[in-house]
Amino acid sequence: MEVLGSRDILNLDRALGLYRVLDEDGNPVAGEPSLPDKLLLDMYTYMIRARILDGWLLKLQRMGRVALHAPNKGQEASAVGATLALKREDWLFPSYRELGALLVRGMTEEEILDRALTTIDDPLKGSDFAIYGHRKYNIVPAPVPVANQIPHAVGAALAAKIMGDKIVTMTFFGDGSTSRGDFHAGLNFAGVFKAPVVFVNQNNQWAISVPLKRQTAAPTIAVKGIAYGVPGIRVDGNDVIAVYTVAREAVERARSGEGPTLIEAVTYRLGPHTTADDPTRYRGEEEVKEWERREPLRRMRRYLISRGLLTEEEDKALWSEWEKRIEETVVKVLEKPPLPPEVILEDVYEEPPWNLKEQMKELRESIRLLKELGIELE
Amino acid sequence: MPVVQVKLPDIGEGIAEGEIVRWLVKEGDTVKRFQPIVEVLTAKATVEIPSPYTGKIRKLLASEGDTVRVGQPIAEIETDTAGPVKEEKPEEPQKEAGPQPRPQAEATPIETQASQAGIAKVKAPPSVRILAKKLGVDLTKVKGTGPRGVITKDDVIAYAEAQKKEPKPPVQAAKEAVVEEERIPLRGVKKVMAERMVEAKTRIPHAYVVEEVDITELLAVRERLKPLAEEKGVKLTILPFIMKAVVKAIREYPLINSSLDEDKGEIIVKRTVNLGFAVDTPHGLMVPVIKNANTKGLFQLAREVRELARKAREAKLSLDEVRGSTFSISNYGSIGGVLGIPVINPPEAAILGVGRIRKEPRIRDGKIEERSLVYLTLSFDHRILEGGYATRFLVRVKELLENPILLLAGEGELE
Repeated sequence: MEVLGSRDILNLDRALGLYRVLDEDGNPVAGEPSLPDKLLLDMYTYMIRARILDGWLLKLQRMGRVALHAPNKGQEASAVGATLALKREDWLFPSYRELGALLVRGMTEEEILDRALTTIDDPLKGSDFAIYGHRKYNIVPAPVPVANQIPHAVGAALAAKIMGDKIVTMTFFGDGSTSRGDFHAGLNFAGVFKAPVVFVNQNNQWAISVPLKRQTAAPTIAVKGIAYGVPGIRVDGNDVIAVYTVAREAVERARSGEGPTLIEAVTYRLGPHTTADDPTRYRGEEEVKEWERREPLRRMRRYLISRGLLTEEEDKALWSEWEKRIEETVVKVLEKPPLPPEVILEDVYEEPPWNLKEQMKELRESIRLLKELGIELE
Repeated sequence: MPVVQVKLPDIGEGIAEGEIVRWLVKEGDTVKRFQPIVEVLTAKATVEIPSPYTGKIRKLLASEGDTVRVGQPIAEIETDTAGPVKEEKPEEPQKEAGPQPRPQAEATPIETQASQAGIAKVKAPPSVRILAKKLGVDLTKVKGTGPRGVITKDDVIAYAEAQKKEPKPPVQAAKEAVVEEERIPLRGVKKVMAERMVEAKTRIPHAYVVEEVDITELLAVRERLKPLAEEKGVKLTILPFIMKAVVKAIREYPLINSSLDEDKGEIIVKRTVNLGFAVDTPHGLMVPVIKNANTKGLFQLAREVRELARKAREAKLSLDEVRGSTFSISNYGSIGGVLGIPVINPPEAAILGVGRIRKEPRIRDGKIEERSLVYLTLSFDHRILEGGYATRFLVRVKELLENPILLLAGEGELE
């Protein structure tokens, strides 16, 4: 019997192993990585920014200013490392836990906060169907239901291939998403048609309260790619350099026409699933402590200091600089007026049908009435 | 230094309230904006709430263990800057909850300040507020059936329908109103009518029975009595005859002339019959009352009907003349309705509706004859009266009207 295609994709070692550049304490496991100093410092800075911004979003949610937030803490390396492998013209199809990826694409803290607080500058105009996204940075708005973005990324990649555009799409999703039909359809289709897409699975061990062992009987998530003819690579998701290295390989592979790659970034969500979740109800403190020791920022900081790229003082200065800048941005964004309610009916039809026009009229009348009565719109 | 209140923020996803687990600050402490000040346990998780202001904690308004609702003030902070605090000024407790002047609100007649204050307090989305405005419904009087007592469109429509004597399809009313509308304040007589009708229709289980009465002979009797009546200065309409029939029938069916004491669970049977009768006036529906109608003759009833109706049209009825009725008659037939279904005038047990007199062919002794017919409707309180009892009463009224000799036989029945 003939076997279709290359046997390379059957590389079980990469799908079952765990690729690392740094160990848990930031020591290189196989020699110094040969990456530019600036890139290494950028990786760290992006992670710091994501961490600080994440803390603010949590705080703002507790103040009733942000409706919901999915904390990122502990997963910064996967988002930052993978996205750094993309080019400007590539497209990102994120999930809802990749602040670092948004920052790497160029989205600013202010733009992210505008979105989270639905200010007048919200790039997505208050849409409730999506979390973060921005057209300017080729970031497709993340859908709220999990795994929906996987087929989107595949479709966009395939379209680019047909059009002859040399672009790559990258999508993020969690371990829970791998149990969804969209994951199967997306990977199968991408495998068959060699779509230039990079699947980044952030395996953070918990799908809300469902542990990985209840999610799949497969030994790893990366190994699932093999059945679709998609190489699976398992990487330490808290090692930003390792994630970047495998992502760059996957992006190059996609761009050169060899098709998709499934990256399993093994990481851990240190915070709650969302601001409406209490993880102490389903997981133990020791497990969290164990992963805190492995968290990505500590590891990278130790490496940068040991490599002589950063001093303790410079590190402190870097943190305080970004803490200050982001707090200033938060204060600024909190002062912005909210999105006007009318936008709720915009952007669905180019020419709105009569019923929407009628609703718009009614809405304007409501707003006028409330203003007349001196009732503040919230 | 301005004092601002910290309210339990809306911490999302359907959280309505939370329990204060632990204060992280105490009174007199200085806090920075965004500094966590309290731990709150919600249905979802325990969360730390950051302070929205920089300043000094003047007062903690909730204790550990207290359950507080979203939006409820939990602390007061003295701030040094005016900063982002505009709408969070503490409410002054001594200030009355009543109307407050709002500088830019133009007061159209319907937009009284009281209703503005009301609108500000009730829980209703803007679309519902607009609907209420269109239907002239005071939202403070509407009970919300939505989540957490929010008033829904259906609530407003149901309330408006209950208020109207002749309900219109509300959706259409609202649609028409978009194009052109006139606002009529519900006040005075109309308001009383609205309130009493709501009371009647919501509290009293109405049941109905209809009879067709042949009044050909009665009309002939009336013609014969007319000269005599005119001599005495009386204009004889059909209504006094019906009144006569009613009071006579009540002698045999006294429960018709009663009311229900709901608190005590007792039926109060009235010894005297005070007859209310509906009069359509330019100011609205008025129901003057003929006192002790059971003791009065036909001509006397006719006189009083005429006098009270005139007073009603001229809005000159005294309070005493509209109070104390024990049974009512609605003679819409004088305007034109063939058959009506009147609403009981609480706290009475029943009301008689009189339809238009029609001339129709009927077979009598094998021959077709032109007869004068009228539909009588009895609406009755089914808590007090059984259908059989009420029907027998109505049949008795019919018999009396169809045999005027029975109606007017007896001493003093005529005069």
